Amino acid sequence: MSTLTLQLRVKNEEGALLRVLSMTRRRRFDLLSVNADSSADGRFMDVRMTVKAERSAPAFVRQIEKLEDVTQVEVLDSAGESSAHAAG
Amino acid sequence: MKGAQFLVKALEHEGVEFIFGYPGGAIMPVYDALLDSRIKHILVRHEQAAALAADGYARATGKVGVCMATSGPGATNLVTGIANAYMDSIPVVAITGQVATPLMGTDAFQEVDIFGITLPVVKHSFLVDEAKDLPRVVHEAFRIAKSGRPGPVLIDLPKDIGNAEADFQIYGNEAEPSSTEPDREAIARAARLIGEAHRPVIYAGGGIGMAEAVNEFRAFVEATRIPVISTLKGIGAIPTNHPLFLGMMGMHGTKASNHAVQACDLLICIGARFDDRATGRLAGFATGARVIHMDADASEVGKLRSADAPIIGDLKKTLRALTTNSLDGDAWRHQCLSWKQAHAWDYNAPAPGIYAPWFLKRLAQRSPENVIVACDVGQHQMWVAQHFDFARPEQHLSSGGLGTMGFGLPAAIGAQLAYPNATVINVSGDGSMMMNLQELATLRRYDLPVKIVLFDNRALGMVRQWQELFHSERYSEVDLSDNPDFSRVAESMGIPAFRVESKEHIEDAIDNLLATRGPVMAHVVIDQMANVWPIVGPGKTNSEMLDRVAS
Repeated sequence: MSTLTLQLRVKNEEGALLRVLSMTRRRRFDLLSVNADSSADGRFMDVRMTVKAERSAPAFVRQIEKLEDVTQVEVLDSAGESSAHAAG
Repeated sequence: MKGAQFLVKALEHEGVEFIFGYPGGAIMPVYDALLDSRIKHILVRHEQAAALAADGYARATGKVGVCMATSGPGATNLVTGIANAYMDSIPVVAITGQVATPLMGTDAFQEVDIFGITLPVVKHSFLVDEAKDLPRVVHEAFRIAKSGRPGPVLIDLPKDIGNAEADFQIYGNEAEPSSTEPDREAIARAARLIGEAHRPVIYAGGGIGMAEAVNEFRAFVEATRIPVISTLKGIGAIPTNHPLFLGMMGMHGTKASNHAVQACDLLICIGARFDDRATGRLAGFATGARVIHMDADASEVGKLRSADAPIIGDLKKTLRALTTNSLDGDAWRHQCLSWKQAHAWDYNAPAPGIYAPWFLKRLAQRSPENVIVACDVGQHQMWVAQHFDFARPEQHLSSGGLGTMGFGLPAAIGAQLAYPNATVINVSGDGSMMMNLQELATLRRYDLPVKIVLFDNRALGMVRQWQELFHSERYSEVDLSDNPDFSRVAESMGIPAFRVESKEHIEDAIDNLLATRGPVMAHVVIDQMANVWPIVGPGKTNSEMLDRVAS
């Protein structure tokens, strides 16, 4: 069992946050926490979420990246460092 | 111009030839606009068939299939078809009417949250709540449906947006779907693994056909001379009569393909996803093999089996770039071909009645080259996969991922409309046929010359087989001996039909089927206890195949 924290930039489109959460549940990752804030111009949401699961974290990250509304994914490690991925 | 009129114009701009649908209250503005369009609307008799026909059209042509329904029950009836397209990565755009925006969220008549309901089974979806967004949404929907790994896209259109007047303009030009360039280092790594392998096997999936990479795939096979096995959807990537093709792998795969995959030291997976039906128990699948995994979808690579050489990108480009020498492994090739020979199909059926595999073998031998076969789901589907011959993947329309009983007839309708001169055969079972039986009326309405082969064993054959083999013959709700008389049902809907009961009449039946100019049904009675062999049981590896034990 491992935990994973992701920082996402998501287009502020109909159902975008729901899509991220739906994917999380469907791929059998447990949501430990989630916080979403609208960007200053309202076009995006910045989402930070922590999940846990026994399944492959890289595969989950790629599934989140694949969502059309997700424009950026950062995987935060335990030291708070990040690695950015283009997405969408 | 009204929103609905613009929508139809935009669909024309996207090259849409057919819309499979069913009208209703909230979608009425679009149906009104369709009266003035060159797009041909195909009126099905249940919305599920609209989605499945759009799916069949897309599989046969490689183009985006379009289906349409009204809000509420019309939309929910599409869901199975949308999920079917999602599971098999088929480009479909589904358009649903929605109640007017002021009524949304009030539990209005025929209001349902189809956007929310379909979230897990669409590649993407749109709710158009402002008329100005309509041009972009239509353009994006088609782009997303066919780009990368294709899939279904939903457009939910409220009635007031369909009626809204605005100065709509077509959004941009139809953009070519972007495709990812494969990584050169990964290609080099893969070439190195192939060079080092002694017992390589190519594991071909549906992604090859979807990427229109069949020619590149065949060139790769011919260059390397590596034996090929395939998934259900990969059938036809290489002609099924090709000497290097060992057959479908997995639960109902050939013994040669399952032996080869279990013994290989390099598995070259091309456009496949290690589905459980193909791999058997994953932990025991090809345990001695290193893996090259080529796919357009990064999220599939490493999802179930880690790859020693993952190559993400367009398969056409990947296969062109992966130039290697012929396999220096005559002994391995000889071993694979020996398995193929030793386990060739045996058509000497002990039972006195019609042996469905033999019927299909003869039908394949006597069908024209351009034949398209649309299957339903169950035993007959596996018999088609095992015994029919296919030269191209788009000739074999089969619901792989979702396993949707009732897929075959609507899919055949979609394929026949796309190719009016092709011989399109729907192979079905008595269970599956009852799932979308009403579409016989659609065949008649448009006089589509689909040939239906209905294998009737008066049972849910595949479930019955599992109950026999894995549930100690405790048969639960699989008896369909009270089926209607299918020939009379078909005739009542204007489809000529005939019954075939003995093996002596197989050739006459095929004559009749292929010679009839319009739609026709052959109602073929088979043994209720016939099973599909071989079979890999639940929780077993592909090495543990059961073979004919009772029949």
